[in-house]
Amino acid sequence: MNKLSVKKRQSLIGWVFLAPAAFLLVVLKFVPLVQAFFMSLRTGRGSSMEWTGFSNYARMFRDPNFIQTIKTTLLYMVVTVPVMIILGIILAVLLNDSKLRLKGIYRTCIFLPAAVSLVASAVIFRSLFATDGFVNVVLLKLGILETGYNFLGHPGSARVILMVMRIWRWVGYQMIFFLAGLQNIDDSLYEAATIDGAGRLQSFWKITLPLLKPMILFTTIMCLNSALQVYDESVNLTGGGPGYSTMALAHYIYNTSFVNVPNFGYSCAMSMMILIFVAVMTFVQMKVGDRRE
Amino acid sequence: MKKRMTTLILSGILSLAMLAGCGNAQDGGSTSGQGSAGSSPQEAAGSADSQETAGTGASEGSETLTVWCWDPAYNINALKIAESIYQKDHPDFRLEIIETNGEEINTKMATATTSGVFDVLPDILLFDDSGFQSSVTSYPEVFADLTDYGFNYEEFSPGKVGFSTVDGRHYGIPFDSGTAIACYRKDILEQAGYTIADFTDITWNEWMEKAKVVLEKTGCPLLNGLSSYNQMTIMMQSAGGSFFDKDGNPNLVDNEILREVVEVYTEMVKEGVYTEETGWDTYIGGMNTGRIAGAMNGCWIMASLQAAEEQSGLWEITNLPKLDGIASATNYASQGGSSWAVTSQCSNPQLAVDFFKATFGGSMELYEQILETGAISTWIPAADSPKYEEPVAFFNNQPVFSLITTYSASVPECYVGVYFRNARSDVANAITNIIYSGGDIDSELQAAQDTLIFEMENK
Repeated sequence: MNKLSVKKRQSLIGWVFLAPAAFLLVVLKFVPLVQAFFMSLRTGRGSSMEWTGFSNYARMFRDPNFIQTIKTTLLYMVVTVPVMIILGIILAVLLNDSKLRLKGIYRTCIFLPAAVSLVASAVIFRSLFATDGFVNVVLLKLGILETGYNFLGHPGSARVILMVMRIWRWVGYQMIFFLAGLQNIDDSLYEAATIDGAGRLQSFWKITLPLLKPMILFTTIMCLNSALQVYDESVNLTGGGPGYSTMALAHYIYNTSFVNVPNFGYSCAMSMMILIFVAVMTFVQMKVGDRRE
Repeated sequence: MKKRMTTLILSGILSLAMLAGCGNAQDGGSTSGQGSAGSSPQEAAGSADSQETAGTGASEGSETLTVWCWDPAYNINALKIAESIYQKDHPDFRLEIIETNGEEINTKMATATTSGVFDVLPDILLFDDSGFQSSVTSYPEVFADLTDYGFNYEEFSPGKVGFSTVDGRHYGIPFDSGTAIACYRKDILEQAGYTIADFTDITWNEWMEKAKVVLEKTGCPLLNGLSSYNQMTIMMQSAGGSFFDKDGNPNLVDNEILREVVEVYTEMVKEGVYTEETGWDTYIGGMNTGRIAGAMNGCWIMASLQAAEEQSGLWEITNLPKLDGIASATNYASQGGSSWAVTSQCSNPQLAVDFFKATFGGSMELYEQILETGAISTWIPAADSPKYEEPVAFFNNQPVFSLITTYSASVPECYVGVYFRNARSDVANAITNIIYSGGDIDSELQAAQDTLIFEMENK
């Protein structure tokens, strides 16, 4: 029996541990991805598809619904991601205070929405903002409104509510990452800063933020990715409506396959577009965020 | 040492579990491919059943048919009754009913066709009428042509049969009626000084005036709906209108019926007499809680109305308002009935058709039994049953079933079209822009038509 060197042995063990996850990742993610790419080169109605090269990709830019839904998706992204990150940091810093009592309870309460199923939270929001829902009742009682306002029936307010729901659901999730980041910052840094006469705000800007940077980068990428793939909220909260006004791109992709007359090739091409966006964005952020020489 | 043993045992169990998992996936892969690789228990059951029917041949398996449909209180209930009726003469006959909602049926059909593995499909499927033609043209491999199996299509109303007919070939067995009705709360109308007679045989202009009075005096909008989808379809159909011309080309711009519908609809929303809902729960909730004073939809909506038992006796039904200034306008339409399809996977289509012929196409008993769930027959002879004349307490003792049957005789026939759902979404979007972004009707309908043409060229 020939002996393996320690290094080889360790790396072999590493591979053995990696293998099951890697295998599943390849079979369940990468293979369908490649299949989807090939399908995106074909077009046609339902099962009668033929090879047409990149025509589906050209088609996208002439599709008014694609353009509208991608604009909506970008709007969701541009508004929700910064709000989520900033709120997440603020909450994390507040709840990291060692003098604060009952932190566990606050943390749990803020994180809890992330553990609620998206369908359930959509139902909750829909009943909150219904014409005879809680919000309308409160506004009527306060005399702000005269009749119930159909929040989800108007494109503008429906979009706002959808974004509020996203923020409500995900801010606790981001907070957990920032809390983890904060635990890694040595208290002695703050002590030293206090001795040097720095205020709380100053030490936040000069110590907390710079040291949280890797975490901010990571959460931003995660947020952007998930914002590009908004689907559940669009389907369950508003059904994309009224009209196409709140429909997210992923919802439109689903509709082109399973609701309208199906064109799977075109759906795949649009999915590939999302993939490209995500890849480009991640790449840019890694480059911008990576300050290692 | 002890710790190491535990670790070993635990990891052993874990790897065994993983192996077993892989083994299953591969089994699924070899027999039914991708279709069941990521399958839910239901789907797995479906594939197992259809394999059984396909595999066991002439023995007991051949008299079992698998069915996908969705509503335990409605169509599943109807099938079970039909099964027991057919079993009287065919004791070996059995139905395997798997509850699968309409959207899921579409998804599974898509997976089956794109992967080329059809044995995940059942023998019989239920389809919403508005999507039937689209499914047949999109997935021709899935549907069995039933034209030559001797089903008695001539005993059904032609409008109904038309939903499942493509290029003159029959692909469906008609099931329930979607004849549209207008339902109003008697007590709320009274508060505004009206009775149901004031809403019978009227036009939309008259309706609008009265609806405004009701809103003013009671605070209740008369109608609500899931965006504009069903409402618009009902109004279009009541005048025999379509989103397409006779050759199937998009016809949204120079379509006087559609134009009138859009005008009436936008006015209803702007005046506040129609509330646009975003979910089915708030739509039904509106009428069940008394927030909305009426409902206008296919007659199957009666089942949802009756969920609010305390409102028994307060509801009355009548026909629809008709469009003003349209020559072909009527007070009748149809919305959301469904039809059965036999799949290409069915090893014995003759058995399936015979079953349907003896039940949905010829059993007075069946239609009498399912009447109480609101399933109204499209099989013309069933309307002669004395059961149809009986008063219904919930609807203030109106003989609603015979009323609806007389309505259905007057429903104009219209062309649905394969791209119906695309057209409906595009027009709904145009309506949204008109109502909320101040778009004008001409340019919005033109934009909707351009979008529809684009969607139909499919390149």
